[in-house]
Amino acid sequence: QEAELERLLVRDVLHACQGIDGRLIKFDGALDGYALVDPSKFPRDRRIMVFKLCELGWLFRKVRHYVSSIAGPPDAIGTVGQAFRGALNGELSDYYKLLTVLDAQSRSPIPPSEGSDGGDYLSLRRLAVWLAEPTVRMRLMAALVDCCGAMKGGAMAGAIHAHASRGDPLVIDFMSRLLRVSCSPLYEAVRAWVLEGELRDPFGEFFVVSTASAGSLLWREGYRLQPSMLPPFIPRDLAHRILRTGKSINFLRACCDDQDGCTITASKDVSIGYGETAALEKLVSEASECIDRRVLDVMYGRYQFKDHCLAIKRYLLLGQGDFVQYLMDVVGPRLSEPAGKISSFELSGLLETAVRASNAQYDDRDMLDRLKVKMMKHDEGDRGWDVFSLEYDACAPLDTVFSASAMERYLKVFNFLWKLRRVEHSLTAVWKTMKPNRIVSHQFTKQDGDLRTRFTSVSRRCQVLWDEMNHFVTNLQYYIMFEVLEVSWSRFLDEMETAKDLDDLLSAHDKYLDSIVEKSLLGERSKGIRRSLLVLFELVLRFGSVADRLFEGIYELQQRGRTKSSRLKRLVDDGAGGGGRKELMRRGGEFLSKMGADLDSIANEYSPSLDGFISLLPLQPHVDLKFLLFRLDFTEYYDRLHPRT
Amino acid sequence: LFGDSRSATNPLGYYSPSVQENKVIDDLLSAMVGIEGRYISIRKVRGKEGRFIFLIDASMDLVLQEWIEKMFPLCNEFLCICQFVETKSHYKHGLVNHAFAAALRAFLLDYQAMVAQLEHQFRLGRLSIQGLWFYCQPMLGAIHALSIVVEKASAANISGSSTLNLLQSQANAMAGDSAISSLLEKMTECASSPYLGILERWVYEGIIDDPYGEFFIAENKSLKKESLSQDYDAKYWKHRYTLKDDIPNFLKNAAGMVLTTGKYLNVMRECGHNVQVLLSDRPKLMNFGANHQYLKCIKAAYEFASGELLKLTKEKYDLLGKLRSMKRYLLLDQGDFLVHFMDIARDELVKRPEDISAEKLQSLLDLALRTTAAASDPCHEELACCVERSSLVNRLGTLKDLEHGIKKSPAKLSENNKSVSNINGELDEPVNITGLDTFSLSYKVQWPLSLVISRKALTKYQLLFRFLFHCRHVSRQLCVAWQVHQGFRSFNTLGTAITRSSLLCRSMLKFINSLLHYLTFEVLEPNWHVMHDRLQTAKSIDEVIQYHDYFLEKCLKEFLLLLPHLLKKVETLKSICLQYTAAVQVLMPSMYISDPDISDSLASSKGKKPKGRGQALKPATDCTSVRDSIVSFEKEFNAELHSLGPILSSSSQAEPFLTHLAQCILGSGSDQ
Repeated sequence: QEAELERLLVRDVLHACQGIDGRLIKFDGALDGYALVDPSKFPRDRRIMVFKLCELGWLFRKVRHYVSSIAGPPDAIGTVGQAFRGALNGELSDYYKLLTVLDAQSRSPIPPSEGSDGGDYLSLRRLAVWLAEPTVRMRLMAALVDCCGAMKGGAMAGAIHAHASRGDPLVIDFMSRLLRVSCSPLYEAVRAWVLEGELRDPFGEFFVVSTASAGSLLWREGYRLQPSMLPPFIPRDLAHRILRTGKSINFLRACCDDQDGCTITASKDVSIGYGETAALEKLVSEASECIDRRVLDVMYGRYQFKDHCLAIKRYLLLGQGDFVQYLMDVVGPRLSEPAGKISSFELSGLLETAVRASNAQYDDRDMLDRLKVKMMKHDEGDRGWDVFSLEYDACAPLDTVFSASAMERYLKVFNFLWKLRRVEHSLTAVWKTMKPNRIVSHQFTKQDGDLRTRFTSVSRRCQVLWDEMNHFVTNLQYYIMFEVLEVSWSRFLDEMETAKDLDDLLSAHDKYLDSIVEKSLLGERSKGIRRSLLVLFELVLRFGSVADRLFEGIYELQQRGRTKSSRLKRLVDDGAGGGGRKELMRRGGEFLSKMGADLDSIANEYSPSLDGFISLLPLQPHVDLKFLLFRLDFTEYYDRLHPRT
Repeated sequence: LFGDSRSATNPLGYYSPSVQENKVIDDLLSAMVGIEGRYISIRKVRGKEGRFIFLIDASMDLVLQEWIEKMFPLCNEFLCICQFVETKSHYKHGLVNHAFAAALRAFLLDYQAMVAQLEHQFRLGRLSIQGLWFYCQPMLGAIHALSIVVEKASAANISGSSTLNLLQSQANAMAGDSAISSLLEKMTECASSPYLGILERWVYEGIIDDPYGEFFIAENKSLKKESLSQDYDAKYWKHRYTLKDDIPNFLKNAAGMVLTTGKYLNVMRECGHNVQVLLSDRPKLMNFGANHQYLKCIKAAYEFASGELLKLTKEKYDLLGKLRSMKRYLLLDQGDFLVHFMDIARDELVKRPEDISAEKLQSLLDLALRTTAAASDPCHEELACCVERSSLVNRLGTLKDLEHGIKKSPAKLSENNKSVSNINGELDEPVNITGLDTFSLSYKVQWPLSLVISRKALTKYQLLFRFLFHCRHVSRQLCVAWQVHQGFRSFNTLGTAITRSSLLCRSMLKFINSLLHYLTFEVLEPNWHVMHDRLQTAKSIDEVIQYHDYFLEKCLKEFLLLLPHLLKKVETLKSICLQYTAAVQVLMPSMYISDPDISDSLASSKGKKPKGRGQALKPATDCTSVRDSIVSFEKEFNAELHSLGPILSSSSQAEPFLTHLAQCILGSGSDQ
């Protein structure tokens, strides 16, 4: 009779373990667990044993409830969730198999007939032995179900992974099985993304998301990592590589119009899954190597990236000297007019003329066509000089590198260089007028007295000031052209050689631009020194115009003096000639003294400005600027002139 | 059905002993797996974790009671172990405890299966309490031994390697009982398998995969490798990875080797070289039984790692080449570069250190490098110059660990002098130090070579350089003075101050040149060759570091830089020489009587020779002041030089190299 009771209990425990209410054991909502319907009927040890065994039933209910929610809306569960539930289902079916065997055993009577070997029956104690390991597993599943909750995608995989680092071999086995299955959609997504560039992610579970930017922004902003969906078992740098690989494929497709090139020769059938990070890494690195090479090949080969860079350097950074010289010559006079009156159409024509007249004409037509005149926004009172600039029109996919912000910085640099060139140009122009006039006006020195000394002093003043300015401008230009542009360019070339992917290329280009901007005093931190530099430029320009006027005046005096003197010979008796000559002398003297005052005022402004500029140089963050100082003040002339403490 | 439950209420004494036995065995079987029965109750002991009291129905037959009480320890121990398994499987207790708990659980499952078998026998009516006792015998010992381990483990609340140590020591303690000790060994093996997994990753990949902090190697991520080339006291190599206190016993002897193996692998990984032992070539670190197979594996891994790293530094990063190039510049191996540099940088270097423009010096240095034979050396770009603010002696005083080296030196004499120099050190920073005193070169060293040529090593190189450079400077100045003396060759200088002065000049030259000779040929070259040969045969990077450091240390010592009293003497001698040369350049021209007529006419007709012919010497009587100053220089110099003798000979007992120095400097001096 007792045996019969035990048999019934065993059967009911088996039922409870599958979440079914039996006759003796039912689910008790108040207790939140299975309990005997009538506990007093049973001895204490049986009650305790049943209670312990029924924990499994409670766990099972919980897991089953979770698994059955697979029928819910798919976007709330996601593929990883589905896979996880599938894996749990697989575990449960193993569990069912065990219960089926136990059920069969429970049907043989207790105690067995004398003849049998006694193996095929179940008591509660035997059941406890059978169910010990399934309980451990079920507990783990329940814990996972608890912690995963409503998570999905990579976050869920991460949550499951957090339970995986255990020392218990049973748990290790179980977890790795579970994770392999649950993470397989994730790895499939990685594979599709890395090999085909497809974002197979209907439910937003993947750690790469698209932000629907196209065109030039595709590379920089088109895709990004979503940290919350990145499971911890994929290292961060690997994730970045994965992101870049797929992005490269899409970039090739969308921007480079390169459909056939993006087939990847990586070993596609290699299995990747949880715990095979090395295999994943290998797959990703093979794929990325292949695609990165392709991207760079396309950029260098079909889109001639290097040539474009060189063209930009030659035109926008004024590397092509004869072209710049000619452009300055033809455009210069126009630019002195107010900005509003200049037609950019005309300037384009002049640019074309400059191209034709210089060696630039042998350049690739395609690149020359991209070169355009751009008039920047102008205010009242701006001259053409302030608004004129050149522009290089880089079309897709090069605009990924030459982005709007990069071009803006190029323009800034161009503007600066253009100013410097203008200053240099005007100084050269002064030299050009000064030189012949010096010879012509030599006869002034034959004059006597006051005028002679005054003339000598003014022209000497002019000469000295010119020399000083020329020294400054030449050295500055040398510094900009060789120390800044060429050095940065050669570094950029080196980095271009070693660049392994587009990101490297982008950063190399950014570094190139950064170093130019920084070293040519255009950076944020060198505002003060830039202002003083512009003041210096302004002074040089003013000097140019004063010198022009001076020599014009001298020339005029000369001419008049000559006509006067020839007339003097003819009308020697008139008596008026003497007065005219005196008058001329007087006016000449006045003119010279006025010019001398002008030059003096310029010189007086110039030397403190230069001094200020030189004193600001050592405070600059970039070490190369110290070399500029060293170069400007090589003889330590300025240092001695204004000893600093 | 109801009859049974009612019968449970009957006191047991109601039945006859044989019926009692039958009923009690069922209860006992429950109790053996920790479940209360009708007649046996279990109570927890308050305040004592894992202790239980078993209560028996008092009306039971006394014989039976005694039998049952014999069984209780078994039940108690089962419960203890059970509880341990439950608690230690918890997440936070670490991998080793998890594995240990899992092994215990498997063991308990066997035990429960045995109980179920006994139940079967009982159901068949074949089990008496006597039989039960008999069948339980094999389990008794095992459970008892395990419960002792469990009790100790939970009392100390240990995890990781301590658990392993406990298990192993218990197994050793029970060595006499082969069954139990083999059981405990099996437990140890199970418990250590995750630990060995961690060890394997470290030894083969250099990765610490240790979520619970159980491994015996700790990583200090805050130490960066960049610090090696910046920080004088960089701790990277020593403290980036350290051994913790609790090392499992079986690894005690191999711990150092394990640590360095992973360290080497990490260095290579930081270099971007993913050198790993191939998966197929890795012998599994399975057990750590008596055969010490795991030690062989560790040894093999160590040899692999150190060999690879050495190959990497020597071949890819060309350690010896770098060292040779450092010697070329910093130890003045290459003369033409230095001479050229000293020529062009003289004007800059005579300024005060604060006024020197480092950029200008750097560009002069570049110029010197590019125009001399150094241009052919690919490493010359790494060279930079730096100007320090303090003089050599004071700089030495600021380096604490070098002081330490001094303390170790046995000469008691130095102790006194050192303290004196220390007190003075802060005060008498010479007012007139120039760039020549503080100039030194520096060398850019990239990872991983910065392991060997760390900031500290570089500083030592710089100290050597500064000393050599200054000596060389003094020697050059003396040569200039000597040239001045040569201008008097055409005169009759007999009995004038000039003769005296030229003798003094020669003895000074001899002094400084023999000092330089000693420094380069007696110290640098032999030591360098010894180190070079040793580096060729070094087997691991640690050996390389050790040999290199030893070389530097030895050079510093033999350069007298660690002996302040001697160094002071030498510095004084050098400064006397410098003062003398400065004086000579002022005094000597005043010895001429310029004869304006002759000199003018001759100067215009012949460019070069007017000095000799156009001028005549002042008579000796006019030059008493010159003579006096020369004599005073001579006195000072000779006094200093001769005072070196006793110091050198007294210290040479302890420091044999001083004998060489004495021979070099004073050798001929004693003849006179």
